[in-house]
Amino acid sequence: MCPDYGGNDDFKDHIETCFGAVRRELEYSEDDILVFLLQCAEQLPHKIPLYGTLVGLLNLENEDFVTKVVENTQANLQAALDSGNCDRIRVLMRFLTGLMCSKVLQPSSLVVLFETLLSSAATTVDDDKGNPSWQARADFYITCILSCLPWGGGELVEQVPEEIERVMAGIQAYMSIRRHVSDTGFSVFEDIDESNEPDNEKDFLEDLWSRIQDLSNNGWKLDSVPRPHLSFEAQLVAGKSHDFGPISCPDQSDPPTALSGIAFGRQKHEAESKYPQRIRRLNIFPSSKYEDVQPIDRFVVEEYLLDVMLFLNGCRKECASYMVGLPVSFRYEYLMAETIFSQLLLLPQPPFKPMYYTLVIIDLCKSLPGAFPAVVAGAVRALFDKIADLDMECRTRLILWFSHHLSNFQFIWPWEEWAHVLDLPKWAPQRVFVQEILEREVRLSYWDKIKQSIESAPVLEELLPPKGTPNFKYSSEDGDKTEHALSSELIGMVKGRLSAREIVSWVDNSVLAIHGLDIALSVVVQTLLNIGSKSFTHLITVLERYGQVISRICSDQDKQVMLISEVSLFWKNNAQMTAIAIDRMMGYRLISNLAIVRWVFSPSNVNQFHISDRPWEILRNAVNKTYNRISDLRKEMSSLKKSVLSAEESASKARAELSAAESKLTLMDGEPVLGENPVRMKRLKSQADKANEEELSVRESLEAKEALFAQAVDEIEALFISLYKKFSNVLVEPLRDAYKDGMLRRTDAADEMPIDDEDSSAMELDKENEKSKKSHSNGDRSGNDYTVGEKEQWCSSTLGYVKAFTRQYASEIWPHVEKLDAEVLTKDVHPLFLKAFYSGLRRPTSDLV
Amino acid sequence: MASLFKDPSKISVYRDRRFSGTQEEFDDALQASTTVYVGNMSFYTTEEQVYELFSRAGEIKKIIMGLDKNTKTPCGFCFILYYSREDTEDSVKYISGTILDDRPIRVDFDWGFQEGRQWGRGKSGGQVRDEYRTDYDPDILLIGGYGKLVQKELEAQRQLVDYGAGSLGSFPPVMVPQYGRHGGNQDYGGSRRHGRDYHRKRYRDDDHRGSDFSKRNSDYESRRTSDHDSRPEKNPRFRERGDSDDEEDDDRKRRP
Repeated sequence: MCPDYGGNDDFKDHIETCFGAVRRELEYSEDDILVFLLQCAEQLPHKIPLYGTLVGLLNLENEDFVTKVVENTQANLQAALDSGNCDRIRVLMRFLTGLMCSKVLQPSSLVVLFETLLSSAATTVDDDKGNPSWQARADFYITCILSCLPWGGGELVEQVPEEIERVMAGIQAYMSIRRHVSDTGFSVFEDIDESNEPDNEKDFLEDLWSRIQDLSNNGWKLDSVPRPHLSFEAQLVAGKSHDFGPISCPDQSDPPTALSGIAFGRQKHEAESKYPQRIRRLNIFPSSKYEDVQPIDRFVVEEYLLDVMLFLNGCRKECASYMVGLPVSFRYEYLMAETIFSQLLLLPQPPFKPMYYTLVIIDLCKSLPGAFPAVVAGAVRALFDKIADLDMECRTRLILWFSHHLSNFQFIWPWEEWAHVLDLPKWAPQRVFVQEILEREVRLSYWDKIKQSIESAPVLEELLPPKGTPNFKYSSEDGDKTEHALSSELIGMVKGRLSAREIVSWVDNSVLAIHGLDIALSVVVQTLLNIGSKSFTHLITVLERYGQVISRICSDQDKQVMLISEVSLFWKNNAQMTAIAIDRMMGYRLISNLAIVRWVFSPSNVNQFHISDRPWEILRNAVNKTYNRISDLRKEMSSLKKSVLSAEESASKARAELSAAESKLTLMDGEPVLGENPVRMKRLKSQADKANEEELSVRESLEAKEALFAQAVDEIEALFISLYKKFSNVLVEPLRDAYKDGMLRRTDAADEMPIDDEDSSAMELDKENEKSKKSHSNGDRSGNDYTVGEKEQWCSSTLGYVKAFTRQYASEIWPHVEKLDAEVLTKDVHPLFLKAFYSGLRRPTSDLV
Repeated sequence: MASLFKDPSKISVYRDRRFSGTQEEFDDALQASTTVYVGNMSFYTTEEQVYELFSRAGEIKKIIMGLDKNTKTPCGFCFILYYSREDTEDSVKYISGTILDDRPIRVDFDWGFQEGRQWGRGKSGGQVRDEYRTDYDPDILLIGGYGKLVQKELEAQRQLVDYGAGSLGSFPPVMVPQYGRHGGNQDYGGSRRHGRDYHRKRYRDDDHRGSDFSKRNSDYESRRTSDHDSRPEKNPRFRERGDSDDEEDDDRKRRP
């Protein structure tokens, strides 16, 4: 452990104590020890060298027990390979390497395992014999082999030099036939404007391969892996080296007919979802922060940190204490911060909910109060400097994280550092970032408190959201007398607890019929929202009680769009309540997701796309809710399928029992009769009937679910088609204008962007503006030199959201790609829109016609 | 995951004395529950603050504020109902022990909300824990930063949400009994599994089912007689604007 963090590194002592205790208990509770030992090795993989050595010592005393350890590990590894459990495969291979180091496992056994994986990988990427769309799995296998080498490369070279040379040559050969993996769509920093340069950076595997080659050239010396077995070498050599049974890799799925196209893309997507890349380094700190750390040590420490976060998820205390107590001799807080942020911002999604990383960061700030908070602040500053290049989804995650983080630390932040954003145009990403953080802080706390917290930079008050009061049209006597009277009448009826039906008939007869739709909608929606404005619960109660009244008025999509506008007007001072009210109304099916999409793409919202999260939050909620519905149905269907199977089983069992009993001959009054005694027969019969009924009923519910599911699939398809059509329409003109010939064209920052045309997306071009536009050379986007014009920023933000939505729901979108190709991605869409969509899906751009 | 440090079968040390079943049934209820209990909240924390924080663990179905029996104002705890079990677990894992509104809140699985549980059980009408406040002292947090005085001053400007007033009278309304029942008296036998799931699961689509509407409505109807107040419509959250007719009331509810 790093002594700077207060650890101690007397491994030898620890192992001896542990060995003594285990040896004593082994004859009484061998089975428990076996299970526990394997659990420890799997769940605390940074301690594998210690467990390996422990098993090595036990091997001297009790070979049978160790045989079981090896056999169990093999069985577990085979199961993990079969089910594609990446973490388990990786960790068990490391454990086997540890066992090899302690002379428990023959080195050649490990080599055989490597070669099995290598051969599977090489086959997969072979164009003729394999299925290159599954390269993600092949790469993962090679990653696993390489990942073992920091733990046992030296030992392998010493004991089986030729074999390991063969493996290395095999990997070299694999590296030459596999395809370079582009980070397109998944990289945290990407400028959507940049032209399509092929990225020259190494991909993850190429990078790891070069680190391992360096390690090999360096005589396999590294600082991050403890070698406790060396202290016991003299004893360990006396142990029996066990053999390791054969392991097989699962078959690959049938290759698609072509090496490109939709079928290939789908399989590639599936493979990449099952074998995701674990980390994408952010490189946000200057390299001077790591100069003492060898590249391979950096890799190992990242592995440790990721494993602790993975296996100790949900155990706060242990997680934090293991993270600061890694078995390495150097300081690594910068590495730790960068690794955590790389997870928080990992695309398409982190292994856990982003909130988990908030907790990890909070706990580390408390564990290392002297060192970590400053590093976190450094990370925030570094990310803030690059915010304009940060992926749109990452920006949202960062905003949610930072506001939540600050809420745990009394909202203290040196805001004066960021006061300068107020000099930037209102669409500048840094300014929007600060404004959205303040918005979220206010939601987590309250307005006055947040105002207080930015005392050091009072100018930022301008970026605070308004105090979130409702904007009730009929709160004062001025304004339309008729509507006011109707509103009071409605309030009276609600107070008098009239039923929804009674109010519907009042609306029909006294409002709609006399005053028309607009007034009816305004009066009813405003008044009901006001009654429900006190709290979230008040809102749902009103909607539950009087939702029918609203649905009576807003019976079709046009009127639902009007309804949403009314909600947004009522809650114009409160983005959160707007979002919640719309979300709940979708929940009660008062409004459809399509109506929400239409509203989000109405001109007043389109004008906000680059300056506020408001419309996006509402759109995210709507897509998310649709997605949740379909994935709930999937889960329910899969559990119903299981119930069907078990119901079938018990029904057929009951039938078999019944027919067995029927065919039995029983002596009745001395005569042989077919069938057992009547009482038993009757019982069996009723059991069989009941089981049949049960089976039927489960089947029926499955069928019902399947029907609902089919409906949900249609619904989500319609949603995506509508969403991308809107995106495409709204982008076409501005893109054509801002990116002539696909090239970036800077305009004056002061340029106004007129977007007026209802629903058509057309942005009118002002002739004068057109003339005054100047072409800037690629402006420097960092710091205060922000020179991006409004239209360009609007385009790049909106394209960023196209990519983010596509990426987040790629699994749901892939099944509908043909239809989207045919209906949306037609010839006249802008290439940059197409590019954003394709990179969100990570669909090869070679598919572009 | 972390089976080394956590016994997954023991998920709460807290046992609700009002739970009528056996310990085993109680554990089962906790294992399946999609409700969490949130304790040690500030009285001033609003549902919207709760929503902002807890919706980061997943889509929220309902929030039920714990209320002081006498004043009908929040008294430091609430229940949150999620749609999915996974989100419920994440909310316990990631939010318990973190800060909301300057207080370290605790989040536990709950066996399911039932009508009546929103009222504080302390003798004075508030939360029991509050009367024996020992382990959670919010003031430990206020080191550095703004002084306590500033803090108090800010707090004093905040308003308690009054759930007893307003035109919907019988607040907090709520709780369709079926959501709360999955702990206690249900048959956990295998043969009824399918049927039980049907009732226990909260469908995102449930929200619009007609039957629910009528059920809920009748529920309100039956309670309508109770504490009908005919005070004029007001919105305590925004009473600063001075349109309130009972300023005295408000003063009484402020934290001293």
